[in-house]
Amino acid sequence: MPGTTIVITSGKGGVGKTTTVANLGTALAMRGRSVVLVDADIGLRNLDVVMGLENRIVYHVVDIIEGRCRIEQAMIRDRKINSLYLIPAAQTRDKDDIRPEDMKKLCDHLIETFDYVLVDCPAGIEQGFRNAIAGAHKALVVTTPEVSAIRDADRVIGLLEANLLKDIHLIINRVNQKMIRRGDMMSTEDICSLLSIPLIGVIPESEEVVISTNRGIPLVHEKKSSIAAAFKRIAGRLEGENIPIPSDNHEGGLLGMVKKLLWNA
Amino acid sequence: MLEAIKRFFSDKKSGKIARDRMQIVLLHDRLSIEPEVMEKIKNEIIAVLSKYMEIDHQTISVRVEQGKDYAALVSNVHVKRVFRHGQTQPSNAQ
Repeated sequence: MPGTTIVITSGKGGVGKTTTVANLGTALAMRGRSVVLVDADIGLRNLDVVMGLENRIVYHVVDIIEGRCRIEQAMIRDRKINSLYLIPAAQTRDKDDIRPEDMKKLCDHLIETFDYVLVDCPAGIEQGFRNAIAGAHKALVVTTPEVSAIRDADRVIGLLEANLLKDIHLIINRVNQKMIRRGDMMSTEDICSLLSIPLIGVIPESEEVVISTNRGIPLVHEKKSSIAAAFKRIAGRLEGENIPIPSDNHEGGLLGMVKKLLWNA
Repeated sequence: MLEAIKRFFSDKKSGKIARDRMQIVLLHDRLSIEPEVMEKIKNEIIAVLSKYMEIDHQTISVRVEQGKDYAALVSNVHVKRVFRHGQTQPSNAQ
């Protein structure tokens, strides 16, 4: 059975796409799946650094597409997990150097051997975006609870639907429960009702993220991290497990009602 | 100055303000329909109306109208003649 290509996109830069690809990919591989991460941010590569694999780059995605190497030569195996690989982006080329058809061909080839192909989409909605979504069956849209990220996410969702990519789920990143309780941040429910796509996960704000990228070790390796747990739950939901998403704590006391939102409701 | 005082005493939390603003912003963004799509919408409206009445194809207008907190699709159609009940004309091929 062929695997699934998932593009992780957002429109807005800096909301957590690369962090999501690294951690979600690692979480899926930890469950025994074979996973390849593809950095489609040509010219501004980051997935290699976040994964701690920057010293192992020999070939990159443009080399594959231009026929200078075989796919296997560009694939870098993760240091800790055998079933996890990375295909890095090129750093000195740009996004117009490949076409959507090239990316689709690569992804279609990769799903013959991998359970999951996760494509790290660049920010924006131009050629880089069009390339990154070309081979995808599913999309995960990452947003944060602030106005520009939400607006850009909405635009991206519209573009995905126009490109007939209808399997779209939302990840809300950098959520600050204290601010939500005070009324100083839009709640999970607010954001879901604005964007009107099903929610697949909520990731809290935390200093741990910078620390983990400093080290080049994705947070899901850290057993005590709440962010690690959140990404593992998203991996579970992707695999079909029915894991409820806890709703925000509302004003009105510490023991606010905890409604369980079924992730695929 | 008055605005600052109003904000200081305002009950409305910024999270709610953000949500209300976003509702309007997204409504406007989603209604920015491309010209080709507007043309298709117009032609399909002509096709439907033409089953029930004779309309002026030349002067029909279909446009998006946006105000501070609303958005609407507004159409103006000059009707020349309404067909009798049950006498719908066959619609043109689309």
